[in-house]
Amino acid sequence: MNGWQIFWTIWLLFSGAAFAIITIVVTLKGFGDVKRMLSGIKSQDNGEQ
Amino acid sequence: MNFAAIDWVIVIAYLAGSLLIGVLAKRFVGNVSDFLVAGRELGVHVGIATLAATEIGTITFMYFAELGYKAGFAAFCTAAISGIVMIIVGRTGFVVSRFRELKLMTVPEYFEVKYSKGLRIVTGILVAVGGILNMGVFLKIEGQFLTIVSGIDAKYLIAVMTAILLLELVYTVLGGMVSVVITDFLQYVLLSVATILVTFYAVQTAGWSNIVDKVTTVMGPGGWNPLQNERFGWSFLIWQVLLWFAMCACWQTTAMRMFATNGPKTAKSVMTWTGVIFLGRGMLPMLWGICALVMFGTGPIGPDGSPTPIVNGQPVAPIEAMPAMIATLLGPGVKGIVVAGMLAATMSVNSSYLLGWSSVLSQDVILPIRSKLGHGDLSSKSQILINRLANVGVSLFVMFWGLYYPLSGSTYLYLNITGTIFLSGAFVAVVGGLYWSRSNVTGGYCAMLAGAAGAIIPFFFLHWDANWTGFCAFGLALLGLLLGSLVGKKPPAPTLRAAE
Repeated sequence: MNGWQIFWTIWLLFSGAAFAIITIVVTLKGFGDVKRMLSGIKSQDNGEQ
Repeated sequence: MNFAAIDWVIVIAYLAGSLLIGVLAKRFVGNVSDFLVAGRELGVHVGIATLAATEIGTITFMYFAELGYKAGFAAFCTAAISGIVMIIVGRTGFVVSRFRELKLMTVPEYFEVKYSKGLRIVTGILVAVGGILNMGVFLKIEGQFLTIVSGIDAKYLIAVMTAILLLELVYTVLGGMVSVVITDFLQYVLLSVATILVTFYAVQTAGWSNIVDKVTTVMGPGGWNPLQNERFGWSFLIWQVLLWFAMCACWQTTAMRMFATNGPKTAKSVMTWTGVIFLGRGMLPMLWGICALVMFGTGPIGPDGSPTPIVNGQPVAPIEAMPAMIATLLGPGVKGIVVAGMLAATMSVNSSYLLGWSSVLSQDVILPIRSKLGHGDLSSKSQILINRLANVGVSLFVMFWGLYYPLSGSTYLYLNITGTIFLSGAFVAVVGGLYWSRSNVTGGYCAMLAGAAGAIIPFFFLHWDANWTGFCAFGLALLGLLLGSLVGKKPPAPTLRAAE
């Protein structure tokens, strides 16, 4: 049981930390992606017209 | 009421902001590709945000917390499997890269590209039925959460949930995937902040040593080791691996994000990094459930083997223990942020699922049937209109099914089984179609029908448990594909073409 306890504790710590770090990176870089997505859609639509 | 004025201000500001952004996105929808796959312009970071937000809802927090409450740390195995399988799929590009190269908009569309229009319609019907039934319980569970945490009187539940559904419907109908992606991004940020806040408060209040002691005392080794827990065992673990490979490849809402990325390489990165998020998506709410067990698990042992939660002297269901804990431990302001985060989670899932299942209904059932009847192709504008009408139809069904269907047993298993109805056949037929040159239309039909029968008959009529039902469904689908393909005519080569 002790082995499983250590195993899941390590998984939990890794998962929690990774969740927080990815959230920060996605938050900071996601705005740029949204802007690029909207301008990409606009230029596609303009190209079709 | 459990809500202070500041909490209401935060929640209402969030709802109004979401609606405004969603409505403004309408001007970016010029054709059906914009409406369904955001013009295939998703980059990695917003792709991660929208995929994670789509698959993290209040419903996710509720069923994982319930599982944590009942099975302790052993439940972490399901989160670990989901994350690891996604990372493997992301790294290898298994199915998702090929799908992206084909420029599809829905999963059943592949069945016409590889097999036939008839099989696309059959698959579309099975996917739409399974998916909509799956989504059907969301409102009820989400309503339970909201009622307990905010303290809203239960008699207003239907009105509140209907209002939230209408809000989601407005921006999904108007802006399609463009609205959904932008709101998903903001909702992802908010729900992640809420997740981290709740985890911090829950562990601080329950205490780590109490958490370890409670699980050990109540559940013994089965609270830690999934192989010693009667809910899990080898059969469950193997079924979960199969199911998650199938979900990553063929779950419409996940696949739509892959179709919407700006290339196969981006699709692989989005899947890989979302896989890492999925570890926390499962384990953190399960930990909340375990914390709720520490705080409220003082009643007699219930029929499912876990102590009945006692909240304010009253026994409640295990699924209600986690929201009761949040209502108890968070103060004004923080509670508003957390509820706004949970609403964000709810809306991102519901809007994505609405778009996902209604797109299957319109693109893979209504339009192909119309074409089979000899009508000509519709303009992009008319296709968008049909998609919007399908959105409204699915919403109406979900509202009535969700609020009036009596859900019994584990929510997690209900969701797994309704998904398996189409996932088993679709996964087998897609993998066979992409990687086995001998697969043909007879095999495709046999896989879809045998997979659906293998899920429905054992579970609903023979009352087998979910694990063996899952094996049966995947096994029969595989057998159907192999036998059907060997018996049917050999397909001409090459068989694949890009959809656009």
